[in-house]
Amino acid sequence: MELIDKLSILADAAKYDASCASSGAPKRSSRGKAGLGSSNGMGICHSFTPDGRCVSLLKVLLTNFCLFDCQYCVNRRSSNVPRARFTPEEVVRLTLSFYRRNTISGLFLSSGIIRSSDYTMEQLIQVAKLLRETHQFRGYIHLKAIPEADPRLLEEAGRYADRLSANIELPTLTSLKTLAPEKELGTIHSAMGHMRQRIDAANDDAQRDAKRLPRSANPKRMAPIYAPGGQSTQMIVGADATDDRTILQSAQHLYRDFRLKRVYYSAFSPIPERPAGLPQAAPPLLREHRLYQADFLIRGYGFQAEELLNAPGNLDLEIDPKLAWALAHRDDFPVDLNRAEPAMIARIPGIGLRSVQRLVDLRRLRRIRYQDLVALRCRLETLRPFVVTQDYRPADAQRDSTRLRQSLTQPQPAQMALW
Amino acid sequence: MANASMSPTSSAAWANDFDEWRTQARRLLHLGVPPASVTWHDGNASHDDLFSWQEPPSMPPGPPPAPIRIGRDQLTLLRNAARYRVEGHGQSRWPLLYRVLWRWARGDAAAMHPADVDGRVLHQRWHAVKREAHHMHAFLRFHRCDDGRGERYLAWFEPAHDVLDLGAEHFADRMGGSRWIIATPRGGVSWDGSALDYRTPCPKEWTDEARTAAERANADEEHALWRTYFVSTFNPARLNHRVMTQHMPQRFWRHLSEGDLIPMMEAKARHGGQRLAQESSVGRRKGKALPGGRSALPRSPSGGDD
Ligand code: SF4
Repeated sequence: MELIDKLSILADAAKYDASCASSGAPKRSSRGKAGLGSSNGMGICHSFTPDGRCVSLLKVLLTNFCLFDCQYCVNRRSSNVPRARFTPEEVVRLTLSFYRRNTISGLFLSSGIIRSSDYTMEQLIQVAKLLRETHQFRGYIHLKAIPEADPRLLEEAGRYADRLSANIELPTLTSLKTLAPEKELGTIHSAMGHMRQRIDAANDDAQRDAKRLPRSANPKRMAPIYAPGGQSTQMIVGADATDDRTILQSAQHLYRDFRLKRVYYSAFSPIPERPAGLPQAAPPLLREHRLYQADFLIRGYGFQAEELLNAPGNLDLEIDPKLAWALAHRDDFPVDLNRAEPAMIARIPGIGLRSVQRLVDLRRLRRIRYQDLVALRCRLETLRPFVVTQDYRPADAQRDSTRLRQSLTQPQPAQMALW
Repeated sequence: MANASMSPTSSAAWANDFDEWRTQARRLLHLGVPPASVTWHDGNASHDDLFSWQEPPSMPPGPPPAPIRIGRDQLTLLRNAARYRVEGHGQSRWPLLYRVLWRWARGDAAAMHPADVDGRVLHQRWHAVKREAHHMHAFLRFHRCDDGRGERYLAWFEPAHDVLDLGAEHFADRMGGSRWIIATPRGGVSWDGSALDYRTPCPKEWTDEARTAAERANADEEHALWRTYFVSTFNPARLNHRVMTQHMPQRFWRHLSEGDLIPMMEAKARHGGQRLAQESSVGRRKGKALPGGRSALPRSPSGGDD
C-alpha cells in the first residue's frame, strides 16, 4: 500500500481522539544545533479543519489493526474498516516533512493493540526514539500509553514524550464493562498512578536542580526528564447513559488522584456499522461544550462538580454552568467589586479569570465603576444583575431567579435600552 | 533619522520605530510639551514638512529633569503596542503612546490599565499584535526549494502588523540548521543556519523566489500528503464553519496549501448529511473485520496484526 493511502486510513482512524494539544512542553530550541524543532510551552494551531478543530500535531495511529473489540470504536476487531499499518520510519518521515513546512508542531501517536500490549507500546516508543535520537527532533511528541503494557515501557515512553495519555474512555466501571470488555479500569488507573509518580518525581528533581547551580554550570545534575507536559485522558460522552454529574465527578477524581493536566471530552461520533446498543445519533455538540465549560470551572475557578450539579443529571444546555450556579445562589449576589474576595468575583457570571485579575489591580489604583466593566469587555448582559460598583446597583437584584433566567435567555427587545 | 520641531504652540515629531519614538518622547516630556501640542508622523521628516521644521530647542537651563521611571512591563506594553499598524490616512501609531506616557509621567498610573480610556486602546493594540505574531507562527508555510544552491525553505507571508522579527526569532529556534527566507510586502529576513539577515524593503529576488515557490507548491509531492492528511483528519459529522473561520481568518486561506480544499470538504459534509465521522473515501475502500472470539490478554505473545 502506498504511503498516501496509509495516511488517509490512519489519520481517519485517529480523528476520534480529541486530546491533541501541543501545550505544556518545556522550552527547547534548535538554534545553532543539529536537528530540528522547538517548543515553548504554548501550543500552536497550524490549521483548522471545517469542524472547527485545531490541527496542531500529526495525529495518526501506527496501525488500526486491533485485537480489542471496544464497541464505540471504529477500529474494533469486528469492524469492517480498511486496515493499514505504518512502519516507524514512515511516521518519522511524515512528521519531519510536515514539520519543516510548518504545518504541524509535532506528533500525536496512538495505535490499535497488535500482537500484545507490550509489542504495541514498543512500536510507539520506537517512533519517538527515532525522532528524538536519530533526528534530534525537539518538537512536541504525545504518545498514547497502553495501560496493559509493562511499567518498564511506560518508563521508557516518558523519556521521549512530552505528554502521555491513557484513555479512560468511559466514565464508569459498568459502562467500561459493557462497551469495552477487554479494558480494565483498575489497569488504567494503575498506569495513570505510575505515570503520576514518575512525573511528580521528575518535577521534584527539576525543582531541586533549579535551586542549585544553573544547569549550564553543572549539566550532569540535570534531572532526568519524564513527560514534562504531564498526562491527559479522554472520556467519550453520549455512547452510554452516564450523566454529566457522574462524568464531572469522575474527571474531578482524575485531576485529584493523578494530577492530570487535562481531561478531554469527546462527543460520541457516529461510526460506520454501529454495533447494537450504541446510540444512533451523536449527542448534541453543545453537551460536550458545556462539559468543557464545567471542567474549566473545576480546574480554574475552584468549583466542585457537586456545586455545579447538586443532583444526578446533565448540565443545562440553555445557559452556561457558571450562570446556572449563580441563579441557584442568588443569596450570594450581588457582589461588590470594590470589596469582594477575588475568588468570589471569579464566580460572577460574565467575568473571566483575566478580568478578575485586572479588576483587583485596578481597585488598588481607584474605585471600580460600571464603565470599567465595559472597557474590560466583560459580558454585560450576563453580569448586570450580579454586581455592585461604586456607581451601579442592579435594579433587578430582587427579581427571582426564574424570571431573571427568562430575561437572560430570551432575545432582548430593542427598546430594552430605554427602560 | 528622527526629528522634533518646536514652536511655542505646537511641535511636529517623526519616528520610524519605537527606539526613535522613545528618544523623541523623552525630549518632549522633559520640555513639558503636552500631547495635544504634538503632531506625530511615521517615518522621516519629509521635504514637505521641512517648512515647519526647526532645530529642536536645547534643554531649558537649570538642573537636569528627573528621569521618567517606567517599569519593565510598561515598557514591553508600549514597545509591542507600537508594532500595531494604525490604518487610515494621516494616522500614526505614536500619539496614543505619547499621551499614555505623558499621563504616566504625571503620576496617573491608571493610564496603562486596560480599563482606562487610553490604556484600553493600548492593550487592544498589543493584543492584536500578539495575535498576529501567533498567526505568523501558525499559518506561515515553508516551501522546499533545491535549485543547486542547496536545500532552502521559502515563505511568503502578509502580516497585518510589524511582527516580522517576532516570527523570525521563532523560526530560527524551530528550523535549526535549515536555511530559510521569509518575504513580506514590507520587509524580508533570511536565516543561513546561524544568523538572521533583515532587509527593508524586501529584496525583489526574495519576493520573487518566495512567491514562485508558493505558487508551485503542487510540485512538492509532500504537499499531496499534507492535503490528504487534512481531509482525513476532518470529522464531517461535526461541521462547524463559524468556529473554523473565527480561529483561521479567511485572509490566510489562499496561502495555505489546504485552503482551497475547505469549501469542497464543507459541501461534501453537508451533502452527506454529516452522518458519519469517517471520510467517505476511506469508507469506499475494502474493509477487513479481524478474527475474534479470543480475548486479547495483556502481553499475550500471539500475532494478530498484518
Ligand atoms: S483498543 Fe479499543 S479503543 Fe483502542 S483501537 Fe482497539 S478497539 Fe479501538
